[in-house]
Amino acid sequence: MSELSLKHVQKSFSEAHIIKGIDLEVSEGEFVVFVGPSGCGKSTLLRMIAGLEEVSAGEIEIGGRVVNDLPPVQRGIAMVFQSYALYPHMTVYENIAFPLRVERLPQAEVDKRVSAAAKVLQLESRLQQRPGTLSGGQRQRVAIGRAIVRQPRIFLFDEPLSNLDAALRSEMRIELMELHKRLGSTMIYVTHDQVEAMTMADKIVVLDVGTISQVGSPLQLYHKPDNLFVAGFIGSPKMNFINGTVTSADGTTLAVDLGALGTISLPRDAKLGAGQSVTVGIRPEHLQLGTGDFTLDITPRIVEHLGIHTVLYSTLPAGENFVGLFEGDPKVSDGQPVTLGFTRDQVHLFDSAGKAVY
Amino acid sequence: MSDVARTTEVAAVDSPAAVKPAYKVRKRSVKAMIDRYKWYEIVLIYAGMALFLFFILAPFIEGFLVSLKPLSQLFSTPYNFIPENGSFEAYFTMWQSVPMLALYIFNSFFISTVVTLIVIAVVVPASYAFARFQFSGSGMMLGGFLAVNMFSGAVLLIPLFRLMRSMGLLNTYWAMIVPGAAFLIPSSIWLLRTYMLRIPRELDEAAWVDGASRLYTLRRVVLPLAMPGIVVVAIMTFIGAYAQQFIFALTFNSKSEFMPLPIGLFAFFGKQEVIWNELMAASFVGILPVMVVIVFLQRYLVAGLTAGAVKQ
Repeated sequence: MSELSLKHVQKSFSEAHIIKGIDLEVSEGEFVVFVGPSGCGKSTLLRMIAGLEEVSAGEIEIGGRVVNDLPPVQRGIAMVFQSYALYPHMTVYENIAFPLRVERLPQAEVDKRVSAAAKVLQLESRLQQRPGTLSGGQRQRVAIGRAIVRQPRIFLFDEPLSNLDAALRSEMRIELMELHKRLGSTMIYVTHDQVEAMTMADKIVVLDVGTISQVGSPLQLYHKPDNLFVAGFIGSPKMNFINGTVTSADGTTLAVDLGALGTISLPRDAKLGAGQSVTVGIRPEHLQLGTGDFTLDITPRIVEHLGIHTVLYSTLPAGENFVGLFEGDPKVSDGQPVTLGFTRDQVHLFDSAGKAVY
Repeated sequence: MSDVARTTEVAAVDSPAAVKPAYKVRKRSVKAMIDRYKWYEIVLIYAGMALFLFFILAPFIEGFLVSLKPLSQLFSTPYNFIPENGSFEAYFTMWQSVPMLALYIFNSFFISTVVTLIVIAVVVPASYAFARFQFSGSGMMLGGFLAVNMFSGAVLLIPLFRLMRSMGLLNTYWAMIVPGAAFLIPSSIWLLRTYMLRIPRELDEAAWVDGASRLYTLRRVVLPLAMPGIVVVAIMTFIGAYAQQFIFALTFNSKSEFMPLPIGLFAFFGKQEVIWNELMAASFVGILPVMVVIVFLQRYLVAGLTAGAVKQ
């Protein structure tokens, strides 16, 4: 049975439709990440699940019960806010205990639950401090502690790591994943950072202006993106896109004219007629130095040497940006032409509507 | 240390060119660069401050000096600012000249205290509502509050008098308390509303998600954080109520046992002469309660209480 199910959920603020009908099933214990660019409605959707925003149409079910009109506390959710939202005048202990105080639990039970949460989050030595004296990571842990003590069915995280610096962010990412393993609860996590989505999620929901673009496991999204948006959003640096025109399709292979770059033939049985415009996608990391099934010559504008990787930035004759990512530090430098190749089976093809063609 | 390093060190000592020039270590100023001034700038700043302070404080200084002088010296020519054989005698004799002085001071203090309590009780929930809820007419009401403040109480005295009379409040404490509170509430709502807007809304939302009701959130989260703002409102109201009593007391009250200090001071205006030194002494004693209240309330003005609530 699914823990959370969204049935054609919509949200509009007067004239503006923010969420345009979302259907989603989340099963128990899953770590689901909502990802998308800013303004795609991911935070609004999370706040609707939390009970902070009203649902304009559709139904939200948690544990088989429609919760559209229930206040957050009766939905069995707990939420961690982007800005932590800690009570600065209370100690860490009282911050974590806040939901239990609201419930008027006996002091012994409060003590038990708070110390259990503090143990999990390594906050035991900080319980008597105030949030103002804590570091960003510790504050985030206090916010998570406040969510844990409620023992909710579903944890909601609204970009919880976006206020932390890069080093702390990857550390907290690991901690959150360990926490998920230990608690085994359902977690819904909103982020605009596709790296967080890829590393943490069991299931990624890619949102694009109020609709679901694709739902799938991280590797599904990486290897088989449904559309141009997902292909461009997942992966870093992002996928290279080259515009082309279909010249012939015989049911097994498809020939695409890429203008000055030549013609590429791809193993596709799609019924695309000649003359249709398509987009060919190739990930930067799938390029290799030297020749391949398809070969092109570029002159890098900028070369970034990261030690583990080398990134080339160049512009194609038609004006598109073209990025290459290579292991180690091959001998390339800006302004020096290089020959790059890639294999046919790593090429993605999208039709004129942006749908992937496999 | 490696051999190479040692040789370079030796070489450095040997060659005179490599001797480091002796940089003078300046005495460090603890001030930031932006706060550093040339000596003449500092002189100018202090001269300016002294000028303004003198303007503000001169009446008080003169008043205090007058209170120390015997009455005869006040009308001497040439006038002497510094009292000769000055004493605090007026501070003792004034209680005899105006026997009800203590009651007047108490009345002033009492009226201001009640006004402050009423204003706080009304303003706190009102400004929370204006800061947090969206309801139709909230903008218009806030504008209306500003408009009310544009009228001074004096303009409205006659309608207020009729109102007081029909409500039977004339010649009671309420005659001074009710208009006092009414005129101080609007500006206080503006003040506290602005303060509450600065408390992150996410704190309310977090409490709501955790099951707290609006009132619980107000009591446990918003009020403690708004405390500095509430204290400022309390101080402003107390001072305002202390200062504005004069006109209401003069118009709405004729019973001397309810009179506040500003009216009570008229008792020093005799038929023949004004006892200036005792009048000044009484004024200074009269503002003492305000000082005490401010010193007491100031301890609650904790700055930066919201630090660490959210990451800005």
